[in-house]
Amino acid sequence: MAAQPQESAGAARAGESLLKVEDVQLSFGGVHALRNVSFEIRRRQIFSIIGPNGAGKSSMLNCINGFYQPSAGTITYKGEPRKQMRPYQAASQGIARTFQNIALFTGMSTLDNIMTGRHLKAQSTLVENALWIGRARREEMAHRHFCEEIIDFLEIQQHRKTPVGTLPYGLQKRVELGRALAAEPELLLLDEPMAGMNLEEKQDMARFILDVNDQYGMTIALIEHDMAVVMDLSDRIVVLDHGEKIGEGTPDEVSSDPRVIEAYLGTQQEEEA
Amino acid sequence: MIYRESGQFKTTYAADQAMLPILQDKIFVLAVIALAVALPFLVSNYVIQALLLPFLIYSLAAIGLNILVGYCGQISLGTGGFMAVGAFAAWNILTRMPEMPILVGFVLGALCASGAGVLFGLPALRIKGFYLAVTTLAAQFFLVWLLQRPFFVDYSATGVISAQEIQLLGWTVDSGIDKYLFALAVVVIMALVAKNLVRSSTGRKWMAIRDMDVAAEIIGIRPMMTKLKAFAVSSFFVGLAGILWAYLYLGQLEANAFDIYTSFDVLFMVIIGGLGSILGSFLGAAFVVLVPIFLNIVPGWLGLPLDTAMVSYIEVFTFGALIIFFLIVEPHGLARLWTIAKQKLRLWPFPY
Ligand SMILES: Nc1ncnc2c1ncn2[C@@H]1O[C@H](COP(=O)(O)OP(=O)(O)OP(=O)(O)O)[C@@H](O)[C@H]1O
Ligand SMILES: [Mg+2]
Repeated sequence: MAAQPQESAGAARAGESLLKVEDVQLSFGGVHALRNVSFEIRRRQIFSIIGPNGAGKSSMLNCINGFYQPSAGTITYKGEPRKQMRPYQAASQGIARTFQNIALFTGMSTLDNIMTGRHLKAQSTLVENALWIGRARREEMAHRHFCEEIIDFLEIQQHRKTPVGTLPYGLQKRVELGRALAAEPELLLLDEPMAGMNLEEKQDMARFILDVNDQYGMTIALIEHDMAVVMDLSDRIVVLDHGEKIGEGTPDEVSSDPRVIEAYLGTQQEEEA
Repeated sequence: MIYRESGQFKTTYAADQAMLPILQDKIFVLAVIALAVALPFLVSNYVIQALLLPFLIYSLAAIGLNILVGYCGQISLGTGGFMAVGAFAAWNILTRMPEMPILVGFVLGALCASGAGVLFGLPALRIKGFYLAVTTLAAQFFLVWLLQRPFFVDYSATGVISAQEIQLLGWTVDSGIDKYLFALAVVVIMALVAKNLVRSSTGRKWMAIRDMDVAAEIIGIRPMMTKLKAFAVSSFFVGLAGILWAYLYLGQLEANAFDIYTSFDVLFMVIIGGLGSILGSFLGAAFVVLVPIFLNIVPGWLGLPLDTAMVSYIEVFTFGALIIFFLIVEPHGLARLWTIAKQKLRLWPFPY
């Protein structure tokens, strides 16, 4: 209901495996945030992770981009199982993300936030930057051009020079998406990109996500609570509850799975009632 | 909101990304530089030596500290110590290798300060805020103590160690005007360098670490490298300021001239002038240099001569009050007030 996909998402266009999560476990003291979770994300997919509050969804993304280290299990990215890794290493391998609670650089403008997201593509050295010679000047122009395209795409032209701290919530979420896109990631992790938005803003955001996936073939892992959005956008869904995977499949399969309905959709209906 | 002059539309990103995109600003800066060059010929030698020279050199130190504190969000109370390292390293290099061109000696001296900055910045990789402040405070005392060891300077012979005379391309920098112009050239060049850095990818990384280091790391910024670069660049500027202080202002090498009060003064300049602003560094330096003089002169005019003790109390009190004011009300300092004034001026006389 919230989103009108231009193209029905078909599992057929999914490509080779991009990320494989096998038996991943994560615990904080006594709390088991993730227990033996496994799934696989294929290229060009929009892959959603759903589940009630505290299910471990954000923790899963945090493991994928190296913010948390799983206590057991393996994560294989682009065919290579990986060991300990820092978030900046994940970023340089092509994983970008947005946060459940916006994490923008509040002292900087929209443009500077997005330009910062592009820094991995910047090669100019400190000395070149200091003297504004060589690659410094050239790259700055090229990156500015690229970032302006993102700004146009996200329809935030008039907020280009506004400090992001003063922007309304919905626009901040957009800028954060822009910052992630600037890195031209292969895998984009979106943690509740539509939380707290009104219907119109949600529709815009859904359109952006579909376009990014469609036009640039970017693989997306999405956490979202709005079931209508998830069912419309996703190629594949995994359902978590209390750190455990309780279901996986296409939107149709998941929405008719009795365990999922009981654990998640059921409780949500109760809350709404 | 208006942020551009009407009629001056930027048709290319290059034009929009120029250092001073607005024509009036460009004219203003050029006028200030022209005035700055003419100034020493209009005022007395005393004003040059006691006012203008310290102002320029402090501005350079404030730019350096602002890079660390205002742009990268780290803290340092070791400014004086790093200034001392710059001065003593340059002097030692130039004394031991008399053939070396003096400017090269200065750059090498500033690089030594850079090294010291990185060394004492290492704890910043693990600790933040208060603890980092304490570490850099320790650096301040340790460095000033270390530099007085006979290995670095031997005071026993004369008690005073003079700085070498600055000579380049046949120009001997000895009169007040010479010294002023030399300092001005260095400061203008270094201010441009600082401006280039903060508008480049280097500067954006610093600001990202300052605003939210967790998010910065997640978009691929390496926190350690970025912080250490800020310490290195900041200390380079600060070290260079120390060299100018010794060679131009004092004319001699004296570790105690770089005491903890120097560190605090430069920090005050950064806070009062504006965190994260190159212009603010100049405004802050002007303010801190001028206020004591103002306090000395004005009560006299008003027929209320104050004794020196009283003046220094008022001075401390004024700075204290201002710092609390700026930290709480306007962390962007005088530079921000200047921007607001400019925005008002752009709309004037139609405030809507
Ligand atoms: N850094 C942490 N320290 C301790 N416990 C944590 C930490 N991060 C997550 N947890 C715990 O792990 C569990 C899963 O949290 P997580 O944030 O992954 O849930 P979520 O599915 O994203 O929930 P929500 O829908 O509310 O965002 C929760 O019980 C949470 O309290
Ligand atoms: Mg979450």
